[in-house]
Amino acid sequence: MTNPPHGFICKDVVENIMDYIDKELDLETLSELEKHTGMCPECRAFVDTYNRMLDLAGKLKEKKFVTPEIRNRLRILLQSKVKPS
Amino acid sequence: MERGFIKRFINTITRSKSSDDSTMSAISDEELVQMYIEQEDELIFEEILSRHADKVFGLALRITRTTEDAEEVFQEVFITLTKKIGTFRGESKFSSWLYRVTANASYMRIRSEKKHESNLSLESYAPYDEKGSLMGRIRNKDWSSRPDLAIFSKEAVTIIENSINELPESNRVVFHLRDIEGLSNEEAAKVLGLSVAAVKSRLHRARLFLRDKLSDYFYEWRK
Ligand SMILES: [Zn+2]
Repeated sequence: MTNPPHGFICKDVVENIMDYIDKELDLETLSELEKHTGMCPECRAFVDTYNRMLDLAGKLKEKKFVTPEIRNRLRILLQSKVKPS
Repeated sequence: MERGFIKRFINTITRSKSSDDSTMSAISDEELVQMYIEQEDELIFEEILSRHADKVFGLALRITRTTEDAEEVFQEVFITLTKKIGTFRGESKFSSWLYRVTANASYMRIRSEKKHESNLSLESYAPYDEKGSLMGRIRNKDWSSRPDLAIFSKEAVTIIENSINELPESNRVVFHLRDIEGLSNEEAAKVLGLSVAAVKSRLHRARLFLRDKLSDYFYEWRK
């Protein structure tokens, strides 16, 4: 993203948030962004809640779906398809 | 891989039949697949299944959104695996190959059923106003300092699950692979046959939408 003429506004923080989190911003953009969030409590709340949302989403990875029943149904199906008698 | 090692390995898993055996976890997915291609051993297949079953089911469920469809896709993928595993060339990670097979099977399924997808488009979804300001929109619903107990409660997890399922399909699958499964932009792009830029843009709108949804939820919850 090119540098806006009068420093960052909230929109610039929002539109650069992904690269900011991934630490992919160039130094100039990074310093502009941090200058803005340093002064803007709205953007600080935005960044914090954005990160918390990602923490929560990460929890979904632990979810298990495949029960022994599902596995068993697959096993039966495989036996019938793979080894036709 | 030398033969003696493979023999020892098979003996080990035959004896222990335990997937968390340390010998087993030292074998990479790709080595395991190579062994399966060479030997078509059922125990090796079982290990591949144990490692990847939930990933395959989870992605199928994310795309199709019903457990019945997800199970059909799950079955189809592992049947395909027994027949076409030889087409895995080891150029990408095995898990990427498997995600791609799963995504394709899931799309076939929703297309053949002409399942209802919402017309919601997030293309220009953003939390700021026309002047680009967030003023008053975020902070009064700030929930970031809530104790973990609330943020990671069962109810909050249900809310984010439901909100993810409200996303348009193109944003939903990208969010699933990147932020739930933890793939990189490049890996997700490969799995879905998209450019990295497309992955990033779909992910960006998905995250903005979900952050808003959670803010609404925690705001209501406080009242
Ligand atoms: Zn701001």
